[in-house]
Amino acid sequence: MKALSVNKINKYFYVAQKFQVLKEVNFDINQGEFVSIIGKSGSGKSTLLYLLSTMDTDYEGAISINGTTVTGKSQNELAAFRNAHIGFVFQFHYLLPEFSLVENIMLPALKLKLKSKEEIEHRAVELLGMLDMKGTELKKAAAISGGQAQRVAIARALINDPAVIMGDEPTGNLDSRNTAIVFDIFKELAHNKGQTIIAVTHDDEFAQKSDRIIELKDGKIINE
Amino acid sequence: MKTNYRIAWVHLTSRFRQLAVATLSVTFGISMFIFMNSFISGVNEAQTVITFTSLAHIRIYNDLSAREPAKLIPDTVAGNALSVVNNARNIRYTEGIKDAGPILKALKKQKAITGISPQINTNVFIQNGVTQISAALSGVDVQKENKVFHTADYVVEGDFFDLQKHPNGIILGKGLAQILGVKVGDNISLTSASGGSKNFTIIGLLETGATGVDRSKAIVSLLAARQLNSKNKSYVTDIQIAVSDYNKAQKVAASMAGITSYKIEPWQLGNSQLDSANKLRYIMSFVISVTILIVAGFGIYNIMNMTVNEKIKEIAILKAMGYSGRDIVIIFLTQSIVIGLVGGILGLVLGYIISVCTGYIPFRIATSTTLPINFNTSDYVLGFVFGIVITFLAGYFPASKASKVDPVTIIRG
Repeated sequence: MKALSVNKINKYFYVAQKFQVLKEVNFDINQGEFVSIIGKSGSGKSTLLYLLSTMDTDYEGAISINGTTVTGKSQNELAAFRNAHIGFVFQFHYLLPEFSLVENIMLPALKLKLKSKEEIEHRAVELLGMLDMKGTELKKAAAISGGQAQRVAIARALINDPAVIMGDEPTGNLDSRNTAIVFDIFKELAHNKGQTIIAVTHDDEFAQKSDRIIELKDGKIINE
Repeated sequence: MKTNYRIAWVHLTSRFRQLAVATLSVTFGISMFIFMNSFISGVNEAQTVITFTSLAHIRIYNDLSAREPAKLIPDTVAGNALSVVNNARNIRYTEGIKDAGPILKALKKQKAITGISPQINTNVFIQNGVTQISAALSGVDVQKENKVFHTADYVVEGDFFDLQKHPNGIILGKGLAQILGVKVGDNISLTSASGGSKNFTIIGLLETGATGVDRSKAIVSLLAARQLNSKNKSYVTDIQIAVSDYNKAQKVAASMAGITSYKIEPWQLGNSQLDSANKLRYIMSFVISVTILIVAGFGIYNIMNMTVNEKIKEIAILKAMGYSGRDIVIIFLTQSIVIGLVGGILGLVLGYIISVCTGYIPFRIATSTTLPINFNTSDYVLGFVFGIVITFLAGYFPASKASKVDPVTIIRG
């Protein structure tokens, strides 16, 4: 089954003048694949990721995730869709500083409301343990290091067991040790849990170790 | 839903100082609203009370000017004749209310009426030695008069009720007594327009606060007034009526139309300036206090706007995680509503305290020796409702702005 399929995507920016960022981009990603998107700055790789994330809806073409066509849905429908099916890890962790780590992880699940609060909390504590952060549950997000915060952000992305996990430079702010930890987590999720990982990265080493690389140049896929 | 409230709560409690400032501005606005309206309504009532010491809510009297003088010769004469009347004299057969008994009886059945006082009002000359001064004499039934005008409260020397016991007793306005140069216990002589004359003993002095009244008014018993004017037993010139709500005097007067053919006059008819002065004061205090509330609203708007800008990254990530625009509106609107509710309740308490304290400031007006303050539930309800509506509006615009945050532009940087 296709986890994600992208059909003839065109995207324009209108800053100063009309500028085409993405040109006829086409690809499919299978379930359980760990894909890296690489390319130089300005190649359109981040832009592509935000289109896939459903947050940017201003494009031509069609995107379907997990068999659902997301193109043309309303903002509220897309918000609900992201909540249930997509997990995000950004370069910066974006944790809510006044909340404890467990509460931060719980937020997407509390929105989804599929499980009781106790179950969600149990799962959040379990995820923290899985990411080797046992004992930090009640710490405030403002009080931990960048590497730890990024792991908490990953736990938050995983709380609803999303089909697709998207990362925008997920290791961009991390040292090599933490990068290795994050990479291993992603690989484990893709190969053992069957979750699809799509990560935009500058880190060639990170990309080389992933299952598949999509390279963009000037808005076109040049290498698959 | 619960999660949204939890986030709103954490936002609120993590910025205690801003929260306190916003809350206090609402508190201040609402307490001022309550205080100003309580004060103005107290002042208005004190004014009205002073007015009603000499003015009844409804007055029944024989309106001479409204009646055509009797015509002895018809204007059109049959045949070839011409009628000319030069120097016609105005002949009136009735003066005052000749037989008040049946009218008083009918009035007693009216529910809205709380007091009925028959009076004989005439102009008299008061003589004290060579000093001779004209005064407005009222002959009254002491008990009934007190029910309508609370006259006993304004008798500063002596006792109003002593008039019942002294057939020759008289109570003078304080100013009038000064002009005459008399004090309680002195004797004076009254002469009526019809020529009757009678001696009275001063048993009390009256001070209403309205100088014009205090300088001209004299009160005797109804019987003594009839005697002085040589009138029959059931004769009165005015029937003064008090109703339970003086604002409804016009309505009550209209409902009495069938009772008598004499003129029935509600107080508003001759005193529209009082009514409009009261209304103007209400409008002014309302405008000022609403302005204060609106300023408080701008304060909240400002603080909520700052919060939204401060939390814009969190808003973006919440939206990325799947929180809808509606969730974001709830998160931020809840904050301003909490500010409004807390500030509002504190404002009610503070407004009440300020009002109570003001009620202790010494000031002589009417029968009161302190500043007049009214405690109307409606002022409190209205102040609270206005406060909530304004904080709601002030919070809605920043919240709606927050809900429109585009997560892509924020997260990409």
